[in-house]
Amino acid sequence: MAATLTIAVPSKGRLKDAAGALFERAGLALRKTGHERGYSGVMHGLDGVEVAFLSAAEIVHQLESGRVHMGVTGEDLIRETLPDVEESVEFLAPLGFGRADVVVAVPDCWIDIARMADLEDVAEQFARAHGRRLRVATKYLNLTRRFFAKAGVAGYRIVESVGATEGTPAAGTAELIVDITTTGTTLRANYLKVLEDGLILKSQAHLFAARGADWNGNAPGLRDAILDRLSKAV
Amino acid sequence: MAAESARKFEALEAQAATLLDVFRRGGYEQVAPSIIQPADVLLDRIGEAIRGRTYVFTDLSGEELCLRPDLTVPVSRLYLERHPPADAPARYCYNGPAFRFQPKGSGGTHPREFRQAGIECFGVADRDSADAEVVLLVADAVRSAGLREFRFRFGDIALFYALLDALSLPERWRLKLRHYFWRPPAFHALLSRLAKGEAPDSDGPVAEFAATLADMDPARAEELVANYLETHGLPLSGNRALGEITERLLDHAADLRSEPLPREVATVIDYYLAVEASPREAIDRIAMIAKGAGIDLGPALYVLSRRFDLLQERGIDIGGASFASEFGRDLEYYSGLVFQIETGGDGTSSIAGGGRYDGLLRSVGAPAEVPAVGSAIHTERLLAAIEGES
Repeated sequence: MAATLTIAVPSKGRLKDAAGALFERAGLALRKTGHERGYSGVMHGLDGVEVAFLSAAEIVHQLESGRVHMGVTGEDLIRETLPDVEESVEFLAPLGFGRADVVVAVPDCWIDIARMADLEDVAEQFARAHGRRLRVATKYLNLTRRFFAKAGVAGYRIVESVGATEGTPAAGTAELIVDITTTGTTLRANYLKVLEDGLILKSQAHLFAARGADWNGNAPGLRDAILDRLSKAV
Repeated sequence: MAAESARKFEALEAQAATLLDVFRRGGYEQVAPSIIQPADVLLDRIGEAIRGRTYVFTDLSGEELCLRPDLTVPVSRLYLERHPPADAPARYCYNGPAFRFQPKGSGGTHPREFRQAGIECFGVADRDSADAEVVLLVADAVRSAGLREFRFRFGDIALFYALLDALSLPERWRLKLRHYFWRPPAFHALLSRLAKGEAPDSDGPVAEFAATLADMDPARAEELVANYLETHGLPLSGNRALGEITERLLDHAADLRSEPLPREVATVIDYYLAVEASPREAIDRIAMIAKGAGIDLGPALYVLSRRFDLLQERGIDIGGASFASEFGRDLEYYSGLVFQIETGGDGTSSIAGGGRYDGLLRSVGAPAEVPAVGSAIHTERLLAAIEGES
């Protein structure tokens, strides 16, 4: 029988194992078809479902374009990547794993600053002393821009960072960072502190539905079945 | 997505030829700065608001580059390349594409790829006459292109700085207010916070520590801060020097002890920023505000008044123009006169803008501050306005 619903699940990284375990608990074990290194699979117990194993970031794009019906990925990636979240996807269920806070963190030694409002004062002083703006290292360009604008902080610029962001203030390539943290251990190890009101987003993995997918035929029924069983297993 | 960037290619080309002709006859040499610019310098000047709309990319060698979002910074860099000591006067004109992402979609009056024609005047020490020269030349250019009805809107950043200098304020607040001028919502919050006398978070261990530094000699305070960091195991990082952290703690300590900003001072600033009228009326009102507050704005107001006389004598309709103290608060590199040319009934369509930006060249590498003033015309909008008139 040809697949009528495609669901995308993370193929690597911190979300992969937790997602696999959750589907297993729900009685919907995922199994790769064909080659072990392949990227497609089936779902035990539900005919007509095709599983696409993709990176968490790619899942966001596939949901946006409607090439998959459903997907498991992080809320942080969804909010960072999609220009209009509500138009593109529906939040079906939080899944209880992949928890991460997106936060603004500054060097511990900046004992003169505790809140976002202090940051603009530091920006003023920094521009006077160094002739340039504060640099914020992050991969969350859009979340950072929106959050800083809301806090009235403008005297900064973003430097894109895709790995080891928390090391940039010590290395001198940025002054502060916006990054994810779960326990705060990495931040502490790098002598960074989260600003009191510097929590941008409390993120976790969600099950999403793509508004732009083809929802004719059996797709809605399969969606409800998956959602029902996953919700009970979370 | 439009396959053709300039749909009115021939009309725009003909218009650009007219504009450049006026500029060249005015003594401005035509230049063509690179379209692809180093992202670092450009975006550091221009701020994250425009960075968010700039096309930034990394090339195969790993260099971070961008498509220029406007031409002022690229022409400034070109001037420095030709005159590294930045000590010679130079006048440049240009016509070429600039690129900005349009969040609401690329369209007729907001294309993502648009052409700017403009002039930049560097190193002319007589600032008043250089300001007038640029305003007059741009007016002449849009008139030659065929625009009949337009109005000027003016502002003056230097006058705001003169006001702050004249008011009796602690220097740390003056610096803060100068900086926050560019962040209107935060500026207002800051002003009312200072006026209410709310001490910035005066609890917590750090505030306690800061309070012990009050009125201390900076060198001694720095030693204590160094000790504090060492005892608490906090190594310096993030490029701020010990002295900078100490300076802010001292400011903080001073804020805890100081009287709030007098209500009258906050009111004077509020009144000043609310001034919006014809230039003559605005000058009268600002003079009255200053007189009422018992302060002397120095030569700034006289300079502004004389500038308008000069422009009027040379044929600019000053009576039909407007002046707003707030105007120009969105482009951080301006330092003096700012202006735009508006058309249309409600005055919302800006077809050209410009101003003085004396601090910019130093920040892109000049050894000292360089007097600079310029203006750019949004050529698609100019063409649309002219077509709308006929």
